[in-house]
Amino acid sequence: MRLNKIILSFVSALVILLSTSVASFAKVVGDKIILGAAISLTGKYSSNGVHTQNGYNMAVDRINSMGGVKVGGKTYKFDIIYYDDESNPKRAAQLAERLISQDGVEFMLGPYSSGLTKAIAPVTEKYGVPMVEANGASRSLFTKGYKYLFAVLAPANLYLDVAIETAVELNGGKPVRIAQAFEQDAFSQDVRLGILDAAERTGSKIIIDDKLPKELNDMAATLVKVKQMKPDVLVVSGHTKGALTAIRQIAEMKVDVPMLAMTHCDAAKLSKQHGKNSQYALCASQWHKSLTYKDDFFKDGMTYAADFEKEFGYDPPYQSAESSAALLVFKDAFERANSFDQKKVRDALAATNMQTFYGNIKFAPGGQNVDKPMVLFQVMCDASGSCENKVVAPLKWASAKLIHPIPKWSER
Amino acid sequence: MNKNFILYAAILIFGLAAPFIFPAFKVQLSILCVLIVLATTWNIQGGEMGYNSFGNILFYGLGMYLCASVQVGMFFPLAEWTESGGEKTFVHTPPQFFQGMAVGLVVAAVVPTIVAGLIGYSILGLRGHYFAICTLGLGVAAGEISGGIEIIGAGQGFTTPPFPNVGSLEARGEFFYFLSFFTLVLTFIAVRSIYSTRFKLILNAIRDNEDKAEAMGIETMKYKIIGWMISAFFCGLAGGIMGGLVGYIDSTDVAFDGREMGVFMVLMAILGGKGTLWGPIIGATIFHIFKEGFWTFFLGWQYVALGVLIVVIVIYFPEGIMGWLREKYPERFGEVVDEKDRKAQVELK
Repeated sequence: MRLNKIILSFVSALVILLSTSVASFAKVVGDKIILGAAISLTGKYSSNGVHTQNGYNMAVDRINSMGGVKVGGKTYKFDIIYYDDESNPKRAAQLAERLISQDGVEFMLGPYSSGLTKAIAPVTEKYGVPMVEANGASRSLFTKGYKYLFAVLAPANLYLDVAIETAVELNGGKPVRIAQAFEQDAFSQDVRLGILDAAERTGSKIIIDDKLPKELNDMAATLVKVKQMKPDVLVVSGHTKGALTAIRQIAEMKVDVPMLAMTHCDAAKLSKQHGKNSQYALCASQWHKSLTYKDDFFKDGMTYAADFEKEFGYDPPYQSAESSAALLVFKDAFERANSFDQKKVRDALAATNMQTFYGNIKFAPGGQNVDKPMVLFQVMCDASGSCENKVVAPLKWASAKLIHPIPKWSER
Repeated sequence: MNKNFILYAAILIFGLAAPFIFPAFKVQLSILCVLIVLATTWNIQGGEMGYNSFGNILFYGLGMYLCASVQVGMFFPLAEWTESGGEKTFVHTPPQFFQGMAVGLVVAAVVPTIVAGLIGYSILGLRGHYFAICTLGLGVAAGEISGGIEIIGAGQGFTTPPFPNVGSLEARGEFFYFLSFFTLVLTFIAVRSIYSTRFKLILNAIRDNEDKAEAMGIETMKYKIIGWMISAFFCGLAGGIMGGLVGYIDSTDVAFDGREMGVFMVLMAILGGKGTLWGPIIGATIFHIFKEGFWTFFLGWQYVALGVLIVVIVIYFPEGIMGWLREKYPERFGEVVDEKDRKAQVELK
């Protein structure tokens, strides 16, 4: 029965290990305000997770170097504790719990994607931890009555309904035939709901309605149907991978469709990765660098894009811009609350009404940003083959005219 | 016997006191309990019976969805709860939450057991790799199918009822910890008592030579199915608890998470030593501590570290920690070693 001894010593070793590994941070240490964030550094959302993290880091550096946050006559600097949620909701919920109950974080930044935000929101809500998130757009996040959740972005159902309306308009006000394919995840399914609403509103018909698996690598089956049924609009949404897969296969299979509306074109760096093949794709975006919003920290979109490119070596997708904006919102709220009391900061957040380089920010009672419309841009290439995203809607910011219908592959 | 009693009492007391000694680690401890349950029940197939099942995740995911669905469906229209972008929000009162959870857990345990019986009847005739691949397919298929069922949220996922406000912030953590710890104790008692009966010997006989076992007049099919049903019962229970603990169910990432949970349960059992009672428990504990440690100290590299761990396990501990200990200190496991014979064998090598 020596075995018992082994097990007993094992259990006691475990006890010692657990009791020594309790790390203690606090929300505000010295002159630092510590924010917590679970980010997808690995897994299927890793590229967008990094965009998010870069956006956060960029804003933290900028705010800190420009004087930090002034609360109660003292100056504080931002600091962020990151964990990797592996693009997994189970892990994200666990990490939120860990950030709050072990690391003592009292203010959180959001993760990437609606699904992960959905997993974290109940935890932050339970502890009354204010969370400003920049990458969870699913409408159902804002109807659950969460009091401590604030999103700087417009809800997902608004992403592409503009595209449908534009298509109807270009069709002389007559309904159009829509083919759609969406990844089975919270965000894309919400984009789908937006399309369903728009279709009902305009009397348009949905002739293909496909659900695609996560980690989208192949959608040939949908495209074969599209080739056969010749819809007026093809809508695809499936995060970065979905956008890349769609363009790759549409070009390979030479699928002709008058309008191709997608999400995540800029995060996927479509115009760089696929060049001319991505031409004419119409993309929903929360932000574009050519918009004319301004703030004191990043000046405007163009300056932000230039600074971001200098630091990280690529053009910022909107995921980075909105993440940077989240920090600006937090700074503003801390200063207005003039306190680190969670309740007061929460109330200050709820009363936010400001302009950032990313757009106007004002929260509805549900927590979504109601003061910032979506924009649509189109990938446009010049004769030399270099491609750029140009805003085509809404007209206020349009820097180019929408090219419609997309020329056939045989004529390109 | 006496020593055993002391050991069990010590572990029980530790288990009961743990959430108060380490209040910040309640969630991790609850997950540890769930992991141990999964590893221990996987061991019934993989370790004792010699059937490497990757399909136990099916019962875990099924339990998760069932528990949450019952918990909501008992009091509110389920379709409206899970409707994507649902404009309505229902709030469970504390009694509703706990009643729902209780009934939900019963359903989460019973239905997977029946499912295991039905599936087992049709696929437990397969052996070896064929069985492993077939069960692998089960988990993947279940994930994809559930991702298309609207009433359980489909691709939108399913937010489980939030824990009701019963005064203290700690209540949720404590509730789920004790629930999972209780399940662990129940599993342990059940598995331990099974392992002391003829049933375990039959499972071992199937592992060692199924044809011979059949020739001896053992109805192997019957025992294989029963073994799987026992696993399914506890996996479903574990899933139900995990759903409530995580608070959000996603078809492929949380419920039918074959890529993580499904593989982890196998890994933990092998790490600790399959075919032993304590092996999966030790394996799960070490694995969990390792994993949490990697996550904290090797951010971004945790899967590389985990991969190295797996390689090390396979190369240096092919029989798991228990197997390694057993080889090193056979006398401590009650095995008598003939010193002369051992030396002779060493010389032969």
